[in-house]
Amino acid sequence: MRRFRLPPQILRLVLLTLGIVGTYLVARTLLVPESFGAYGWYRGAALEEIASRTPVFAGKKACAECHADIQHKLDKFEHKTLSCEACHGANREHALNHDVVPTTVPGSLCLRCHEANPSRPAWFKQIVVKNHYGDKCTDCHLPHQPSQSP
Amino acid sequence: MKTQFNRRGALARLGAVLAGVLALPVARTAKAAVQNFFTSSGAPKGYDPTEHKWLICLDATKCIGCGLCAEACKKENDVPQGPYYRTWVERYIITKPKPGSAETRGETLVDSPAGGMHGFPECPVPEDQIEQSFFVPKLCNLCEHPPCVQVCPVGATFKAPDGAVLIDKNYCIGCAFCVQACPYGARFLSPVTHTAEKCTLCYHRTTRGLKPACVEICPAEARIFGDLKNLQPDDPLRKFYESNRTQVLKPHLGTGPRVLYAGLDEEVR
Repeated sequence: MRRFRLPPQILRLVLLTLGIVGTYLVARTLLVPESFGAYGWYRGAALEEIASRTPVFAGKKACAECHADIQHKLDKFEHKTLSCEACHGANREHALNHDVVPTTVPGSLCLRCHEANPSRPAWFKQIVVKNHYGDKCTDCHLPHQPSQSP
Repeated sequence: MKTQFNRRGALARLGAVLAGVLALPVARTAKAAVQNFFTSSGAPKGYDPTEHKWLICLDATKCIGCGLCAEACKKENDVPQGPYYRTWVERYIITKPKPGSAETRGETLVDSPAGGMHGFPECPVPEDQIEQSFFVPKLCNLCEHPPCVQVCPVGATFKAPDGAVLIDKNYCIGCAFCVQACPYGARFLSPVTHTAEKCTLCYHRTTRGLKPACVEICPAEARIFGDLKNLQPDDPLRKFYESNRTQVLKPHLGTGPRVLYAGLDEEVR
């Protein structure tokens, strides 16, 4: 009896198929990033990369850790909704290391919000500068307690 | 040739295999440690995106148009100089209808000079001609079905499990399909990196338990931010959507925004 032998063309086809599939698998393991598919059809590590930026603004909570007295004052008056850094500027460096001198933002801060503008909501306190008394807002208004005078 | 197969040799080989197996996890830990050392990014640890679902609420009746949000966003995210904004404020001016016309209102003018970053110039319409005027803060609408993700040919943009729509900068090819696809105009091509850029929901802040910069800085509490999966009983977010009638922008597009607006006018797109 003759022993069965795989025809050489079939053998070549099988080898070729195995070669192609093998190359694909090797290429796939090399090219697909490790975290691909961790959360979905994308590189999971991208989330961490995006999150690795350093924040610039410290946030009101960080300020209140040391400046609780000012925070308490602020909370009793109209400016209670303001974030410290809205007027004082971004100061995360100072919040992390108290030796860093906080940056200060120069004037005209009040008018940025309070200058009369017909687009502003009616409930919001606005002034027409030329009809309002005095030159300096802080002559009559305490920034942290705006309805009180110094 | 005669093969020698003695007890000493077999034991030695067995010992070597066992040692190899035992050394494998040690080697793995070492490799992970080395990788960690080189790729340590300063990203916050312990943030699980599947444990959060962010929502932003915007109250158009409270926005005073100071533009602090747009300015803070630029600073916080190092957004390129020039007309590139991840969040901005629009001013709507609706004029009175022409006398005798059977309309409820006249023209609608919309402007946003420098994204509202430095405030707004004087109203171009005399005050007695204004029917209504208001500010509307805008940003990425954090769509549940984001068109920008659908069109990306390289899969570089995606929706994270916590609702943020993000861009993998390493894979973005800068084709700007997403810029065209976004119905809210929330994307642009960065002139610096030549890749698409957009609001990341301040991902570096939210993952650290901070609020996004625009929400943090808003002096009028027009922006409210919260986590629907970890709602507190007195959460401002809950208060907002329980006490306001909310709507989203362009609901007919079926994008399912996670940015809710209160007090919008029909003219706002």
